[in-house]
Amino acid sequence: MTGVLAMTEEDQMDRFMERIEAGEKIEADDWMPEEYRITLIKLISMHGISEIMGALPEKEWVPKAPSLRRKLGIMAKVQDEMGHGQLLLRVAEDLLKPYGKNRGDIMQDLFNEDLKFHNVFHMETKTWADAGLIGWLVDGAAIITQTDMLKASYGPYARALQRICAEEVFHAQHGEAIIMALAEGTEEQKALIQEALNRWWEALLMFFGPASKSTTGSTKQDATIKYKIRTKTNEDFRQMFFDRYIPRILSLGLTVPDPTLHYDEAEKVWKYAQPDWTEFKKIIRNEGPRSQERLNLRRHSYEHNAWVRDALAAVVN
Amino acid sequence: MAGEKTFYQEYEVFSKRTPTASFQHQFSLLAPNEDMAFVLAQENFMRREPVADIWIMNRKHIRGLNEEEKMSLSRIDNKDYRETKGYGYLRKKWREYEQNMLDEKEILGGGGK
Repeated sequence: MTGVLAMTEEDQMDRFMERIEAGEKIEADDWMPEEYRITLIKLISMHGISEIMGALPEKEWVPKAPSLRRKLGIMAKVQDEMGHGQLLLRVAEDLLKPYGKNRGDIMQDLFNEDLKFHNVFHMETKTWADAGLIGWLVDGAAIITQTDMLKASYGPYARALQRICAEEVFHAQHGEAIIMALAEGTEEQKALIQEALNRWWEALLMFFGPASKSTTGSTKQDATIKYKIRTKTNEDFRQMFFDRYIPRILSLGLTVPDPTLHYDEAEKVWKYAQPDWTEFKKIIRNEGPRSQERLNLRRHSYEHNAWVRDALAAVVN
Repeated sequence: MAGEKTFYQEYEVFSKRTPTASFQHQFSLLAPNEDMAFVLAQENFMRREPVADIWIMNRKHIRGLNEEEKMSLSRIDNKDYRETKGYGYLRKKWREYEQNMLDEKEILGGGGK
C-alpha cells in the first residue's frame, strides 16, 4: 500500500475522486484538492453568515409579535438561526485552518463586503404577514436546497445540515401557523398575506439563483455538482418549490402575482415570468433594499460586543 | 485578529439523552474556557432534546487517526469464526437431534422461567 502522504498530487486527486464517486465522506483532515476546499469555504461561510444575517429581518418582529406565544415562537426561531450560524462557521473555520484564518476573518470579509449574504435577506419586512411568509416560504425554499445537500460529500457539512434541517421543519410549521391564522382571520388579515406574497414573489424566485451563469457571469452550481456537494441545479430547485407550494398558496385563496404562471403538461415544467435579474445583481452587490442597514446593524453589534470578547480573553490561561 | 488567536479554544461536545444511553458526539464549538463551553454546548445543541449528561473535550487532547491510518482499518471479510453467522449450520444439526437451536434472545435471557 502506498501511503496517501507519499502519493503524487495526481494520484491523490484520482483517489479523492474515487472516494467521492463511491459515496465516501471527506473529513476535515483528509487530503482534498484546493478547488474543493475553496468551493466549500465559499459555500459554507456564505451559508453560515446568511443564517446570522437572516436572523436580522426576523428579530425585528420579536417586539411586535401579536401574542406572548407568537413572541416565544419567533424568539426560538431567531435563536435557532444564530445556532445554525455557529455550526456552519465551525465547519468553515476547520476548512480555513491551512490559511491561518478564523471566524473573525469571515466577519471582516462580510464587513468589507467581500463575503456576500443570501439575496433573500436583503429584503424589507413590512408587516407581521412577512414574518409568517418568511417562515412558510423562505424557510420552505431553504429546506429544498438544504435537504439536497444532506448527503454532501463533505462529512462535517452533511452532519451540520442534519441538525439544521431537523430544526427547519419547526421553522416552516411556525411560519405556516402564522399564515394559517391570518388566512382564517378578517378580510384585513387576509389582505396582509396577499400583499406580503406580492412583495416577496420575486425574491422567492431569485432565492434559488439564476438558471445559468449567463445571467450573472458566474455560478457555483458546476463545482458543487461535480464534487457531489449537491445534486440538483438552481432551476430544478425552483421547479420543486413550485410543485410543493403553488397548490398550497392557491388553496388559501391567495393569488400568485404572475398571470403567466402555469404548469406545462407537455414539458412537465412550470412556466413563469423571470424575476428582474438586474435587481438580483444589485442585491448581490449589497445594493438591495435593506443591504446596508443590515450590514451596519451587524457591524455595530460586533463593535458594541467587542468588550465581551475582550473580557473573556482576559481570563484565558 | 491577532488578539483572537489565543482567545477561542476548540471543544468537541458529547452528550447522552438518558442515564442509560451511550454518549454521542454532537458537534464542536469554540469557547474561551470550559465553563463557557458547557453553557454554549447547551445553547447550541440541546435546545429541545432531553439530555442527561454532557462531556466537553478540548480538541488538543484528542488523538484521532489521519487519512492514511484510517485506511488500515478496512477489513477482509474472513472473520465469520468470530461471529454467530459462522455457526449458523448448528440450526440444521440441532434439528437432526429434534431440538431447536437456542437463539440470541434465549441465550441472553438468563434461562429462568
